[in-house]
Amino acid sequence: MKRRQGWLFFIIFLLTLSVYLLINYPLQLGLDLQGGSQLTLQIIKEEGKVTSDELEAVNSVIDKRVNNLGVSESNLQTLGGDQLILELPGEQNPLVASRVLGKTALLEFRTQKEGTSTDLKTLQLQRLSVKELIGQYSFAEKSQNNDNFLNFIQDDLKEIEQELNYSSTSNDLYGKLIEIKKYVDKEITNLFIKTDLSGKDLINAGRRQEQTNSNWEVLLTFSNSGGEKFAEITKSIAGTNQLLAIILDGESISEASVGNQFASTGITGGSATISGNFSAENARELEVQLKGGSLPLPIEIVETNTIGALLGSKNILKSLYAAISGLIFVGIFMIFNYRILGFVSVLSLVLYGFFNLAIYSLIPVTLTLPGISGLILSIGMAVDANILIFERIREELYDGNTLTRSIDSGFQRANSSIVDGHITTLLSCFVLFLLGTNFVKGFSATLGIGVLISLFTSLNCSKTILRFFTTYQSLRQKNLYLPRNNFLN
Amino acid sequence: MKYNLELIKNKKKIIGFSTVLILFSLIGILYSTFNTSYKKPINLGMDFVGGNELRIERVCEAECSNFSPDSVLENLREISKNNKVLNNIKLQFQNNNKLISVRTPYLSIEESNNLINNLDNIVGPLNYESKDSRLIGPKLGKRLLTNCLTSLLVSLFAISLYISIRFDKKYALFALLALFHDLVIVFGIFSWLGIILSVEVNSLFAVSLLTIAGYSVNDTVVIFDRIRENLKLKNEGYNETIQLSVNESFRRTTFTSITTLFPLLSIILFGSYSLFWFSLALSLGIIVGSYSSILLAPSLLLKD
Repeated sequence: MKRRQGWLFFIIFLLTLSVYLLINYPLQLGLDLQGGSQLTLQIIKEEGKVTSDELEAVNSVIDKRVNNLGVSESNLQTLGGDQLILELPGEQNPLVASRVLGKTALLEFRTQKEGTSTDLKTLQLQRLSVKELIGQYSFAEKSQNNDNFLNFIQDDLKEIEQELNYSSTSNDLYGKLIEIKKYVDKEITNLFIKTDLSGKDLINAGRRQEQTNSNWEVLLTFSNSGGEKFAEITKSIAGTNQLLAIILDGESISEASVGNQFASTGITGGSATISGNFSAENARELEVQLKGGSLPLPIEIVETNTIGALLGSKNILKSLYAAISGLIFVGIFMIFNYRILGFVSVLSLVLYGFFNLAIYSLIPVTLTLPGISGLILSIGMAVDANILIFERIREELYDGNTLTRSIDSGFQRANSSIVDGHITTLLSCFVLFLLGTNFVKGFSATLGIGVLISLFTSLNCSKTILRFFTTYQSLRQKNLYLPRNNFLN
Repeated sequence: MKYNLELIKNKKKIIGFSTVLILFSLIGILYSTFNTSYKKPINLGMDFVGGNELRIERVCEAECSNFSPDSVLENLREISKNNKVLNNIKLQFQNNNKLISVRTPYLSIEESNNLINNLDNIVGPLNYESKDSRLIGPKLGKRLLTNCLTSLLVSLFAISLYISIRFDKKYALFALLALFHDLVIVFGIFSWLGIILSVEVNSLFAVSLLTIAGYSVNDTVVIFDRIRENLKLKNEGYNETIQLSVNESFRRTTFTSITTLFPLLSIILFGSYSLFWFSLALSLGIIVGSYSSILLAPSLLLKD
């Protein structure tokens, strides 16, 4: 008897500990419960597998960019060797994040080939027209009865295509516009020769508003060697009609001439500005990208989930209803069929709930909707063990054994089949956890933890509680353990 | 309370019933593979084929005004010329016109934002706090599908291995037969649901199949154990002992299934919509699984 009381105190201690843990280390809620955005980034590599070094490098660049974006909270994880998962709690519109993160941000400085001035001028004009057409298209998209407008754009585009001697292959107008713009960008870039100065030579980037108008410019600060290279390059083209182009991901974002006054030394001081008609937003995006450095491998955003905060809190409430009503259904069923034994199993279930949640806050397990469904499902499975035991106890009682003996042998004899019976469920959980996606991992983690904890609560806790009850003489009548109608049989 | 299931007498009926169920499922799977627009054994959802799913609530005073989905699409076409969106869009109103749910092929975040803005203009104002938007690229979808299939195969293999170690050949074979019976039927029901109600399966469906596998084998193991134990202890005939063992574990098996069904029922009734089909699949699996453990698997063991 003394040993059992020791267990009772141990269980009470565990319960207190769980409550303490839950108060001091609140549960971590997944995005489907608190609202926010989740982006899955896929690293693109044409040949071979992404190595762990490359993954690490991409991870650190993305991490820097996210930090520079100034979001209050974020969580970046790698997944399956070539994916990254970025969670932005509270973010309802991940557009800016996706624009900043999705770009490789490969910055190059190139000098113009000699004798290409007229070609460049033509292309620059064409680029301007295409940009204008894209602007007009976005405007047309928002207005009604825009068929005429769109026809105009279509005609203008055809003219440009003829000039370029290139015909686009996209099906829709917008796709065509973008395709032509890319083509023009490529043609412009081809007029410039690579230098050894690149984004790697930057130590910082910033932005400021231009003094003369409301446009923004981006400031670049070079490292020492970068500054020297920059001086060298500018010196080589100073005073000529060759331009210096700053190229981002294959698109020239600025072409500028270098004045004759720099012919002897080049532009020194180790800094440069890019002023290419940036809006405040664009300038900030570029700044963040340059600060984070360029990605060693391109990435693609393959999944975006966005959940509103209101929906998140509704999901919490619904899960709570489901969990509590599940518990009540099971409780009524157990008490109806097993009376005091049923009541004991309900108490163990409540303990089970607390222990589970405490483990979640300890590990920690981030609670998501599938995770909660795993927990709720494991409530049903946790009672399984109790049912096995209680059936054995009933059999023993029917055979005319005393209450204490029946309880003892009931627990003893059911032991092995309970442990055995959970093995297959644990197997499935294990496989799911190893191979599953994030979403699936949540379910298998909570179900697996639940099955393990249920072994403790349904074997040990219910036995202890039952022993405690049977110390009271008034609770030792057999008919409290067997439904009356069963005696009629 | 003693149960008296006449297993021996009804062996043919039980096996016949299961055969009918299996045939029903196979027909669904075949029909779905050859006669539907998606040409797959089951209607694969966004998780596996990629796409864009949006659910957002409207802000309405008392009651939400009635829009026909067609008129909204008409309006969308007038505003937007994005063919990618408009050629293959499904739009529905739910919850007394309050909730709009939209499915399109995969969109970029920008395109999806444009779509939401346009919707806001037509049926708005919209409550952005209630937004539930998922964009899945087709590449990721394919990957998820292989991922799910691998997990299914690995886990079925692990379970088969476990069973064949634990039981001798005959028992192992019938336990596995019962398991595949359960999985095929649940799969078949969802094939039919896809054909009739356009219900789609996502990665959670694969999870439910795996969970069903684990759970249903567990039930069969308990009953087979009882049979083995009784065959050693009791001196009655082989068939009679099997029938007795089933009746002895009947209460236990149905009770554990019922207590597992209750929480699932609560999720179906009160839980979030994203868990509805998942819980339904699990519930079906548990019902079919208990049936196959109590009636089918032991019947297969009976000698003629």
